[in-house]
Amino acid sequence: MITAPQTTRRKGSVRAGDAPWVKWPLIALALTFMLVVLVLPLASVFVEAFAKGWQVYLDSIRDPDALSAIRLTLTASGIALTMNLLFGLAAAWAISRFSFKGKNLLISLIDLPLAVSPVVAGLIFVLLFGLHGWFGTWLDDHNIQILFAVPGIVLATIFVTFPFVARELIPFMQAQGTEEEEAALVLGASPWRMFFSITLPNIRWSLLYGVILCSARAMGEFGAVSVVSGHIRGETNTLPLHVEILYNEYNFAAAFAVASLLSLVAVVTLAVKKIIEDKTGRRGEKA
Amino acid sequence: MSIEVRNITKRFGAFTAVDDVSLQVGGGELLALLGPSGSGKTTLLRMIAGLEFPDSGSILLNNEDATKHDAARRRVGFVFQHYALFRHMTIFENIAFGLRVRPRQHRLSKSDIRDKVMQLLALVQLEKHEKHFPNQLSGGQRQRIALARALAVEPTLLLLDEPFGALDAKVRKELRRWLRRLHDEIHIASVFVTHDQEEALEVADRVAVLNHGKLEQIGTPQEVYDNPANAFVYNFLGNVNLFHGRVDRGRVRISTMDSESQESTPVVDGSTLGYARPYEINISRESGGAATVHARLLHIYGVGPKVKLELQDIETEAMIEAEIERTQFVELELKQGDEVFVSPSNLRRFVEDYSI
Repeated sequence: MITAPQTTRRKGSVRAGDAPWVKWPLIALALTFMLVVLVLPLASVFVEAFAKGWQVYLDSIRDPDALSAIRLTLTASGIALTMNLLFGLAAAWAISRFSFKGKNLLISLIDLPLAVSPVVAGLIFVLLFGLHGWFGTWLDDHNIQILFAVPGIVLATIFVTFPFVARELIPFMQAQGTEEEEAALVLGASPWRMFFSITLPNIRWSLLYGVILCSARAMGEFGAVSVVSGHIRGETNTLPLHVEILYNEYNFAAAFAVASLLSLVAVVTLAVKKIIEDKTGRRGEKA
Repeated sequence: MSIEVRNITKRFGAFTAVDDVSLQVGGGELLALLGPSGSGKTTLLRMIAGLEFPDSGSILLNNEDATKHDAARRRVGFVFQHYALFRHMTIFENIAFGLRVRPRQHRLSKSDIRDKVMQLLALVQLEKHEKHFPNQLSGGQRQRIALARALAVEPTLLLLDEPFGALDAKVRKELRRWLRRLHDEIHIASVFVTHDQEEALEVADRVAVLNHGKLEQIGTPQEVYDNPANAFVYNFLGNVNLFHGRVDRGRVRISTMDSESQESTPVVDGSTLGYARPYEINISRESGGAATVHARLLHIYGVGPKVKLELQDIETEAMIEAEIERTQFVELELKQGDEVFVSPSNLRRFVEDYSI
């Protein structure tokens, strides 16, 4: 009985699965699949983008409509990120530190945007703020434009990226517990001091991880934004929408040039994510 | 330099964690809060620290009502069970934290903070570790750093939550003796929580025994051990044998034993429980008539100077645990399966009965 686990482990090294004729085809299959589905498309974006040379590439990006799309994307994702950062922190704090009625409901609701199709998310805002929507008449009376304008795009982006920071923080803060924070309070720290000296340094990597995921998603969001934007060139077009318009106009070089920017964001996101994972992984080992 | 807790009650939903507890801790005294898990001892400690607030009752620290004061204002030292060292700070920064967060006008200069921290590191004998991070230290070392950090703010009271709970047996013993010596040196009122009766009885000046949120007894280790207030305290402070019996017209009948009731208050007829510690069980080869129980020796655990015996009452089949000197064991020539006669030298009965 006691020696059993040892025998299993020794046998493990000569397991059938380790035979080369099983191992290599599996690796080959996985790599081929990845090449075809992930690497080739990504590479094609950059190849197509530079197909007509540097000049066309730069022109496509320097185009006023493209620049306006970049600005709008950065504005919308910047606001969405800030809001969801604050909300994520507040929600994670409330859920990991207090017990209250409706806590489980809140945890489930945070995941809602992940379950809802982005198009539906966009339609929700049309139903609320559209001319025939619940608040449509009132908004129209007061001359407030939400749909087909920047506020609508920001709202849709916030909705879609809502869960990322909170979902990252909640399990982490729950696992970490409150003892260190209590220790800081007993030692005479003010609640703010406790937050900035103890809480924030402890959660910084999960927070950054959540922020990275959130911003990548915010910049890339298409469906929800497409519904509320109205596709007004130079005004309510975000980068993904701009790509679609260019593509539909058979302006492939320009479409891929702008798409390459978004792909670059994705690659950078992946790299940063990897760095964070390595860092936190190493910390985890030591602790 | 004192703590006074007056009629404190704390509920979590329908669960009453601390139920109308009052106690006092004098200056320079080391008090142990002893009890099983869920007895409310940690909640009581956390209320004294200001990490939890009572539903009713009041807490006086150094004769000042501190019931509503937050933790930062109470200036107590608190040592957490799992140390709660700041993992992203060095040992030096951990100890310095309490000094650095003071308002500017009360804050020491940089060099004074340095001196103070080094002095504390010397006190806990870990000078060489100032630049290390908490995860590079052993459990015992972390606990000492946690203590040094708590002492840095010069608290007038020191509170420790199961300070040795997470340590292995040997380090535990060393560290609790060291804590006792340290306490005698710095001499501030201290309260520590433990579920280990040996620890409480060895280290503390006084022991408060808690059960289900109620204070069962408070007194010196000698007092609570020799004169337990009730069956719970008696049972919690050490191994115990239970004898089920009956009281019948002033006589106590337990198994084959029959004796005069010794209570000063008249006893109601009915079932009763007698208690005796394993070392209070006498064993002999000859029957003592109505004063002994006929038992069979089932097991012998013979390592060390004392021999532990597991016996079974032949009449009632109840198990009896006895502990005798090795010399006596040899004299009696006991073997497994032998039939012997057992008598408790000191059979206690408590008026209010507890189900154990």
